[in-house]
Amino acid sequence: MCDQTFLAISFGPCDKCVKTKPLMNIYIKTDQFNYCSLCVEMMANEGLRDNETLSSLKNESETLKCKLEEERAKLHDVELHQVADRVDALGQFVMKTRRTLKGHGNKVLCMDWCKDKRRLVSSSQDGKVIVWDAFTTNKEHAVTMPCTWVMACAYAPSGCAIACGGLDNKCSVYPLTFDKNENMAAKKKSVAMHTNYLSACSFTNSDMQILTASGDGTCALWDVESGQLLQSFHGHAADVLCLDLAPSETGNTFVSGGCDKKAMVWDLRSGQCIQSFETHDSDINSVRYYPSGDAFASASDDATCRLYDLRADREVAIYSKESIIFGASSVDFSLSGRLLFTGYNDYTINVWDVLKGTRVSILFGHENRVSTLRVSPDGTAFCSGSWDHTLRV
Amino acid sequence: MSNNMTKTAEARKAVEQLKLEVNINRIKVSKAAADLLAFCETHAKEDPLVTAVPSSENPFREKKLFCIIL
Repeated sequence: MCDQTFLAISFGPCDKCVKTKPLMNIYIKTDQFNYCSLCVEMMANEGLRDNETLSSLKNESETLKCKLEEERAKLHDVELHQVADRVDALGQFVMKTRRTLKGHGNKVLCMDWCKDKRRLVSSSQDGKVIVWDAFTTNKEHAVTMPCTWVMACAYAPSGCAIACGGLDNKCSVYPLTFDKNENMAAKKKSVAMHTNYLSACSFTNSDMQILTASGDGTCALWDVESGQLLQSFHGHAADVLCLDLAPSETGNTFVSGGCDKKAMVWDLRSGQCIQSFETHDSDINSVRYYPSGDAFASASDDATCRLYDLRADREVAIYSKESIIFGASSVDFSLSGRLLFTGYNDYTINVWDVLKGTRVSILFGHENRVSTLRVSPDGTAFCSGSWDHTLRV
Repeated sequence: MSNNMTKTAEARKAVEQLKLEVNINRIKVSKAAADLLAFCETHAKEDPLVTAVPSSENPFREKKLFCIIL
């Protein structure tokens, strides 16, 4: 259950063979026992059924993987861009930077929009988390976190609180108050506790629950009020770098991407992994659901972004060009799902036609790598944050 | 010793997980693609980034300041 198992060595009578030996404290089906190491070894061997050795299990998993690929390939009758041929091509795309938000002292690492479509929160390497009004470019609130590298921040659906976290291994929720005399840091509530850095966090549909992803390879669902762990999700073999919740109409799932090149789709209530996709060649930096909830896109250090369809259970499109060699750090869809905005480490943002798989436009403007990118809730604009200390809308 | 136990437990879990994944219901890519297309088309009109909105409705347009000299 835990990602770190602690063996507390104590000396005493073994529960099984009653000899006095150094004991190991182990859990079998939630009961706690103290067995000596000899008994543990014997029980482990008994636990293996006939013909079930480590190598046979490995072989079985290999054959199952092949079978999975075959099943997926059977339904691969047509490519997405072939189906998209009958759709009109998009017109010329002109996007300009309308606002530049300056004020961070160091690299901007993450940002999130508020549901009111004008406010956004951003966090940076210097430990500051700032709430901006995107229309007026005013800073509304600023909080200094006790740690640097605040890698994750999220706006609550009600607009009354923000959550952020990073190298401090926890996620803190700050209620937003308009009283100038209140010290925001005093009202901070620590919600999540991980054993490694926090890489992503997001509120679920309510203000009361937060989903977090961490460098310790797990994701977890927490209750904000009590700080209690509601569900944990184990399965990634390496750091989890990003997560995204399914749009509300389609249910209780979320997708996470990690350094093990896998994107996994989880059920929020059971903690089970429902599907997993492993076609990227490198770490997955960002995942985002398609607006209908039936697909998701992922951006990776291998310089490609891929679209995976959940119902067909396979990758359906790759967005890449030979000229793009830098990793993609962030990805988001436009409101209708027709456009895919991707930010890269070569300081540019590429806009792709989701259906046809072609690049529609490149946007220049940032002076360092683009680290985060989000489309506003009403789709009128998107904001990109970069290591050049600014955000552009 | 405990390494063996954890390795077999992990391998067993991986096999269970793969069995679950092999058995899920899948639909044809053509149907999934058609659905994605349909979604895009129905929502294209509401998407301000796909169908351009007139400047008067764009909340991020440059604000023109009117100086009225009285």
